[in-house]
Amino acid sequence: MRRLKLRKPRKSLVTRYVLLLAVALLFIPVLIPVSFMASWGVNLLLDPKGAGPDIRPYGNGLDIEADWHQASAKLRDATPEVIGDTLRTMKLKYPDATMYWVDSKGNTQLQLPEQSDVPAQWTLEDTIAFMKARVNGDPFTVVAFIGGGEEVRQGFMVFELPRKFMVITDDKRDDGRFYGVFLVILLGSFVLLSALFFGDIRKRLLRLAAAMSQTGASGLPSPIQEGRPDEIGRLEQAFNQMLYKLENSRQREQEEENLRKGLISHLSHDLRTPLTVLGSHLYSLRQEPLTDQGKQSLSLMETKISDLSGLMDHLLSYSLLTSKRYALSMERLDILRLVRESAAAWYPVWEKAGISADIELPEQPLYWSVDAQGFRRVLDNLFQNLVRHAGSGGYVGISVKLENGAEALIISDRGPGMEVESTSHGSGLGLQIVDLLLREMNLTRKTQTSPAGTAISIYPLRAPN
Amino acid sequence: MPTTNLLYIEDDIEIGDWVSENLRERGYDVTWLTSGEQAVEQAVDRHLVILDVMLPGLDGFTVGGRLKQHYPDLPVLMLSARTSIDDKLQGLKFADDYLTKPFHPDELAARIEVLLRRSGESPAAEPIQLKHLLVYEKENRITDEATGEEIVLTGKQFHIFTYLLRHLGQILTKEQIYEAVWNEPYLDGDKTLMVHIRHLREKLERDPANPQVIETIRGIGYRVRT
Repeated sequence: MRRLKLRKPRKSLVTRYVLLLAVALLFIPVLIPVSFMASWGVNLLLDPKGAGPDIRPYGNGLDIEADWHQASAKLRDATPEVIGDTLRTMKLKYPDATMYWVDSKGNTQLQLPEQSDVPAQWTLEDTIAFMKARVNGDPFTVVAFIGGGEEVRQGFMVFELPRKFMVITDDKRDDGRFYGVFLVILLGSFVLLSALFFGDIRKRLLRLAAAMSQTGASGLPSPIQEGRPDEIGRLEQAFNQMLYKLENSRQREQEEENLRKGLISHLSHDLRTPLTVLGSHLYSLRQEPLTDQGKQSLSLMETKISDLSGLMDHLLSYSLLTSKRYALSMERLDILRLVRESAAAWYPVWEKAGISADIELPEQPLYWSVDAQGFRRVLDNLFQNLVRHAGSGGYVGISVKLENGAEALIISDRGPGMEVESTSHGSGLGLQIVDLLLREMNLTRKTQTSPAGTAISIYPLRAPN
Repeated sequence: MPTTNLLYIEDDIEIGDWVSENLRERGYDVTWLTSGEQAVEQAVDRHLVILDVMLPGLDGFTVGGRLKQHYPDLPVLMLSARTSIDDKLQGLKFADDYLTKPFHPDELAARIEVLLRRSGESPAAEPIQLKHLLVYEKENRITDEATGEEIVLTGKQFHIFTYLLRHLGQILTKEQIYEAVWNEPYLDGDKTLMVHIRHLREKLERDPANPQVIETIRGIGYRVRT
């Protein structure tokens, strides 16, 4: 589909999902430094004075060394008192440092403060061991020849400073303490984004499912509001289009049905109107003086008009029924009541035709699921057939009997049977309509016929188990 | 004696001409319209409306619906040239009776009489003779022709008898009578109606064991006919 290719990639669910994944993957290398930076930043905000170079109160080692050498260089030919003063001055400057000096004979002079591990008399081995131990050791140690050089032979002065004053001390600060928090927040936000992404998809799918399963007044689901134009959005679109098409076809079907019904109605009208006019003229003719032969002809014509009218009704009903245009509304009804009402309407006809009615119906109702109109029509057609073709028997029996374990309605006569060509035989359309209607109502008909009479049983079809 | 005033709506000239003529011969005052446009205005003070289904413009169902809306008690008899199977469903919702073309004028007249009687519009100033009884419908009075004695019925008995009279000549099922008189659904095997009919017969019939006035139509119901 062309429209699919033209769609903007960001409108696709796949694009969004890939984007989400890409963000997640990129975040793994980015996440850790970013978390750390954020943590550091927060620390800075929380504790701004903790930052800066004042964690090394005496500057770095080179500064101290230069200072110490400078001080020693100034002491060329100085007396032990002057050297002592210089040390005291330096001690004021470096209160945490330990200093002493050793004269050219190897005797330890002024110590600030006094220390036990400094030998009073330095041997050559002492000196070498001391120098070896102090290289890059703790305390940080500077040794300078007094007077600026070894050739002056005035001895040397030693400066010791514990390394803790030299390194960047961050014992009270931990830049990483918020690192975990930020890692969790960032990871959490990724999880949240994923959850929202899928939650949104799920919600929309569920909404779609609900919309599809809920039917409106027309028996069809109602259209749904189209959301974002991604895959689900297109599904919604397709669903709405399908609904639209379905509605259209329903409407067409309805129109066709109405057209057909209208056609049949008009046909019926156009056929019956001339028959009625014909009947009216026959009736007028009756008022005229006629011979017996003429009167007989009139009666015959009247009978034929009535037959023709009945046949037309059958034909048009048959057409409606076979095209499934006759909508049955099935209800659980007491069919005995319908039978009694129908028999009540036919009773005068039977009386006139010399048919005696033997109606033996139980007091208890018999409930079948039928369409009232359709069931009446069945009875009408059967009673009409009976009067027409079996009137000679002079009997109609209506009863309920158990047949094959089911209650059946039995309509019987003492006519010549269906095998015999009735004098006023028809096309059998009436009986065909009966069968069509019975089938539509899940009923069935069984007929036993002999020259002594006919019995028609009607009973419900057993639901297939 | 006041004449019965009928409104007849039929678009076919030949049929309309013949039917209205025939009804006039039978003593009815007939106003014939060829369309339903004026039906509601014309129906004022009519006793009954005969309405054709297939009319130009407004169809018979629409006209009938409007008539019933304006005059709920006015009996409407539908005439139709359409197939009974789809018309009856729609038409009988408001129509009081229904006749399919072609029909015999005697049949139409009989239906009109039944409807008029049912709606109480029949000017039965003269008593109805039912075997040995004279029934004065307007005065709610029943007398024995031979003795001249008045027969007094209880409320329910009168109700049942009136209902049967309104449907003179028609067979009515037990359910129909019970539901019309008691105005509640008929319960199976209810003997109430039979008891009332028995008491009614004891008052009306010469020989209640062999009833003549209220016929029992075995397996179906009851009938009163002249």
